[in-house]
Amino acid sequence: MTLTATPAPAVPASPPPRPGRTGLMPRLLSRTAVNGVLVIATLYTLMPLLWLVMASTKDMRDLFGTNGFAFGQEFNLGANLSHLFTANDGIYLEWLWNTVLYAGGGALVATALCVAAGYAFDKLAFPFKEKIFGLILLGVLVPASAMALPIYLLASKVGLVNTFWGFFLPSLVFPFGVYLARVFSAAYVPDEVVEATRVDGAGDLRTFVSIGFPMLRTAFVTIFLFQFTSIWNGFYLPLVMLTDQHLYPLNLGLYTWQTTGLNQGHPEDYLLAITGSLVAVIPLIIAFVALQRYWKAGMTTGAVK
Amino acid sequence: MKRRSLRMSALLASAVVSLSAVAACGGTDSSTPQAESGGGPVTITFRSFVKGSDVVTAAFNKTHKDIQVKFENVPSGADYYTKLASSVKAGNAPDVAVVEYNQLPEAVSQGELEDLTASAGSLVSEKFRPPVQALVNLGGKTWGVPRDVAPLVFFYRKDFYDKHKIEPPKTWDDFTKAMEAVKKADPEARGGVFQTGDPDALAAFAWQAGAKWYGTQGDAWKVDIDDAASKKVADYWNDLVVKDLVAQFNTVSDDAFFQALQKGQVVSYVCPNWCAGALQSTVPDQSGKWAVAPVPSWDGQPASGMLGGSSFTIPKGSKHPEAAMEFIKFITSDMEGMKAWLSSGTSSMLPAAPDLAPATSVFKLDFFGGQDIFSVASKAYESIPAGWAWGPTAGVTETAINDQLGKLATGEVRLADVLTSAEQATVADLKTRGLNVVQ
Repeated sequence: MTLTATPAPAVPASPPPRPGRTGLMPRLLSRTAVNGVLVIATLYTLMPLLWLVMASTKDMRDLFGTNGFAFGQEFNLGANLSHLFTANDGIYLEWLWNTVLYAGGGALVATALCVAAGYAFDKLAFPFKEKIFGLILLGVLVPASAMALPIYLLASKVGLVNTFWGFFLPSLVFPFGVYLARVFSAAYVPDEVVEATRVDGAGDLRTFVSIGFPMLRTAFVTIFLFQFTSIWNGFYLPLVMLTDQHLYPLNLGLYTWQTTGLNQGHPEDYLLAITGSLVAVIPLIIAFVALQRYWKAGMTTGAVK
Repeated sequence: MKRRSLRMSALLASAVVSLSAVAACGGTDSSTPQAESGGGPVTITFRSFVKGSDVVTAAFNKTHKDIQVKFENVPSGADYYTKLASSVKAGNAPDVAVVEYNQLPEAVSQGELEDLTASAGSLVSEKFRPPVQALVNLGGKTWGVPRDVAPLVFFYRKDFYDKHKIEPPKTWDDFTKAMEAVKKADPEARGGVFQTGDPDALAAFAWQAGAKWYGTQGDAWKVDIDDAASKKVADYWNDLVVKDLVAQFNTVSDDAFFQALQKGQVVSYVCPNWCAGALQSTVPDQSGKWAVAPVPSWDGQPASGMLGGSSFTIPKGSKHPEAAMEFIKFITSDMEGMKAWLSSGTSSMLPAAPDLAPATSVFKLDFFGGQDIFSVASKAYESIPAGWAWGPTAGVTETAINDQLGKLATGEVRLADVLTSAEQATVADLKTRGLNVVQ
């Protein structure tokens, strides 16, 4: 199940010719090396996707009987898609919708919280500020999968296990986003501007909403994309938290099909998992293509300052 | 201009998403079934990864007005048991859960299951054969009700065997000769499979040979993984692998295995009867070419081992054990229930209750040229030696073997030695858990 959808790195345009002919060979060599590495990286990223596209067009016989990177003898994509969307009373569409809610809604709220918190850490003075910030950074270091079981036990105490909120609420916590937002805020929102609004009599909230937040738009998109992909690909928490398949996100549902396909001796479900994976990467590709200019701008500007 | 429109569409999309998030959450909350109060039907939850669970649940709900079952479809594998354990711990366990035979003792020893002796003890002893009873009865108590059994049989390409005048082997000596004949007839093809990712396949061969890896003696666990029978089996397969007479695959549910089937590079293999369904759906164009024979044995007398199979249990903390047991009886021991499991026609599992075997008639036999493969499987079931049991640390045993299975071909390790070290690992783990062990 490849849900990675990072667009292939573009081959860089050739650099402008430099004066002098010395060091032509080394330059040629290094350019070849760089391009070689890029080609390998591109293949590494695209090969699984190509396999996925090809496999989705095959029936069971061709799937196991023909080359994985070529078309099969019959073109079966239509049949696979209609099987995918009708299997188990169209459960796949429910999973897709759930994932959009978890990842889209979760990332939106999480990002709003992150930007507000990051701004506060950067611009406001309050007691124990750096200690609290240190605590948040600690949260970055703990891997999400290690938190899944404790979160599950907590959630079961308050009755959130196997509900929409059981997976949605934990998705709102994104410590790395707070850190990023603080860095962005320091770079994008000049202290002088904040001072000026204070002089003009605006409160902290007003300053943030009217002045700070609009200046942090790039930060917002960057953090949103980070958290969106992380929820979209999140697996272990929903695995522990959810048992009602009508609440499953896509990857858990696909995993269910894949395990019945491969562990339980029902390979007919395997094809469902394959076609389902292909459809599942499409929204990610759209999100990246649509938002990548912000993403790229966000990453570099944050790094320079 | 373009920039703006992009930004606008992103914003719009987010707004739509957040709105519908609110709407959907409201819906989910209100549709959560409330615990029944008074005269309404009892609602129980049923957690399973077994194919057909949704169908059997629907069939039960249709005929039982006083009990309604809510089915939870979950992924299988090791994660399933971790999840079951944490559900029990947190008090969210389902009322009925599937547990595979090799996992049952561990679940019992961790205190995850209800004792079913009073409600199902006599059912298990009357309805099922002794080898299966031994899998669900532990320490004199009954912990689960068997659904299916998975006796080994021999699948072979009849067209290939006929063409090259090879007889399906009756003994393991014959099997070696058949493997040589297949390789000679087609150097690309192999007549057997050694699974490097499924130690239970090896266990099934040991079981067939009369080994008993786990047992109890008084209040202590008895572990004997490298007894004479197991070593005989280990040396035999080790030899086949080293001589390259059998193909090696991770499992028989593996991509690479299916590809080899498709290309005619595997023309026979030993597998439980449930493999028939997988075989049929993977290589539909080989229909009519396959047949099934009894698995070879050591002395030519019928004997089989078992690889797979499931039982149904009531996890600790169920609030409706009576309703749960009624459901379990329907899905394991009732003709209607068994027919519902099999109604899709894609499963070739064999019911553990011998009198329910006719329910398998819905499985089309065209793929096997009309041969009654279930009668072969039923006879294999009758020939499984009784007395094999799994232990509470079966997972440790399996891991200890599994890590080494891929290294046989190079001669780096010998399978018999692997069994000895697996036994040491198992005993050590039992002791760590504070259990008594005799070797």
